Amino acid sequence: MQTRRPAGGLESEVLAALWAADRPLTPGEVSDAVGGELAYTTVQTILTRLHRKGAVVREQAGRAHAYRPVIDDAGLAAQRMRAMLDRGGDHAAVLTRFVGTLTPDDEATLAKLLGAPAPAPPGDRPADEVDS
Amino acid sequence: MHASVYLPLFIAGLFGLTAPRLALRLPPAAATWLLSVGGLIAAAGAAASLTLLGFTLVAQAQPLAESGHWSITALRHEDPVLAPVAAASIVAVLVLAVRFITVGVRRACALLAAHRLASGLPPVGQELAVLDDPAPRAFAVPGRPGRIAMSTGLLRMLRRDQRRAVLAHERSHLSHRHHLHQTAAVLAAAANPLLYRLPAAVALSVERWADEDAAVTCDRRSVVEALTGIATDTGAPRRSGVILAAGANDVQRRVRALQAPVARLSIWRVALLVGLLVVAVVAVREAAQDTERLFELAQAAYRSAHR
Repeated sequence: MQTRRPAGGLESEVLAALWAADRPLTPGEVSDAVGGELAYTTVQTILTRLHRKGAVVREQAGRAHAYRPVIDDAGLAAQRMRAMLDRGGDHAAVLTRFVGTLTPDDEATLAKLLGAPAPAPPGDRPADEVDS
Repeated sequence: MHASVYLPLFIAGLFGLTAPRLALRLPPAAATWLLSVGGLIAAAGAAASLTLLGFTLVAQAQPLAESGHWSITALRHEDPVLAPVAAASIVAVLVLAVRFITVGVRRACALLAAHRLASGLPPVGQELAVLDDPAPRAFAVPGRPGRIAMSTGLLRMLRRDQRRAVLAHERSHLSHRHHLHQTAAVLAAAANPLLYRLPAAVALSVERWADEDAAVTCDRRSVVEALTGIATDTGAPRRSGVILAAGANDVQRRVRALQAPVARLSIWRVALLVGLLVVAVVAVREAAQDTERLFELAQAAYRSAHR
């Protein structure tokens, strides 16, 4: 589906796509991962910009370049975020968070809302994650 | 002093009770503004009432009466506020002021820390900061500019349209400064316990607001799926493992809101809430004028006694 994107939003999507992949991606693969409607040259431009800013690393992959995100950045970011969350109280509260848990009952209700029978029984679903 | 001085207290209670319900039936942006700014106005009105009530007793203190040149006897005689009521008001004003200041300082510190975090999260200069964390997490970090933080665990779990939905959702939180609305609600509730439901109501409203924004940018189904962690793309729903919301009740409300036709701005609901607040403001004005007249009388009595 064709969508509107804010300025700078494309860089986020490209970065997110690189992280979602488990190996370095060529511009063509990034284009597929972000959404086919993006022109190859647009993706190329964004990747070059991200590379210049030091947000991604470039590797030679055959005749093309392949890009992967900088692991150290994510480690450091996770550490800083954890430090903020560990302060608890308002410090944790001002970071709007989006991950929580549902009980199987809630899940069944939601499935009903979505207009279909209940999803997989509680046994074989992935463990729920709550922010500590 | 007339009954108008008690009206803002009554209105704060009524607003605290009805506004969260009415807001659910309004478009989320309007609901958020009404709850946050309205809450502050309601809290300020109630605080003004308590202050006016309490002041009638404080003003009977000898040193204050001396410096203000009013007659304590006249005040006591003319003032219809019972001493216990005035005394209770003084206590309430003091306790609530301390609460308000404490909560305000704590929030300000937290927001400052968030700003520092936002400017320090690598890669600097990028909107998205990825956290090396297998657990699915996503945050909006307010700052100048604000940052979106998503864990590697979450990114690997989502499809591309869901990734886009989450990015759009969090971007909405940042661009509309939802943290300030939250702060307003928390402060209003601190200043007046009758408004204790506002923070949760604003939290839900801003989530709905961000959901709607995400649904404009992406398709509605992706938002619902990213929200519930229940994928419906194959017909039968199946869990995809991520729930992008803090509470199950809220998720249900938000999914319902996403599925329902877009809420229209109902003039009468807005008018009802705005009307309540206007009455509160007018009542405070009335009460202030009453108080002024009372003190003019007491000052006249003082002058004639000291002639």
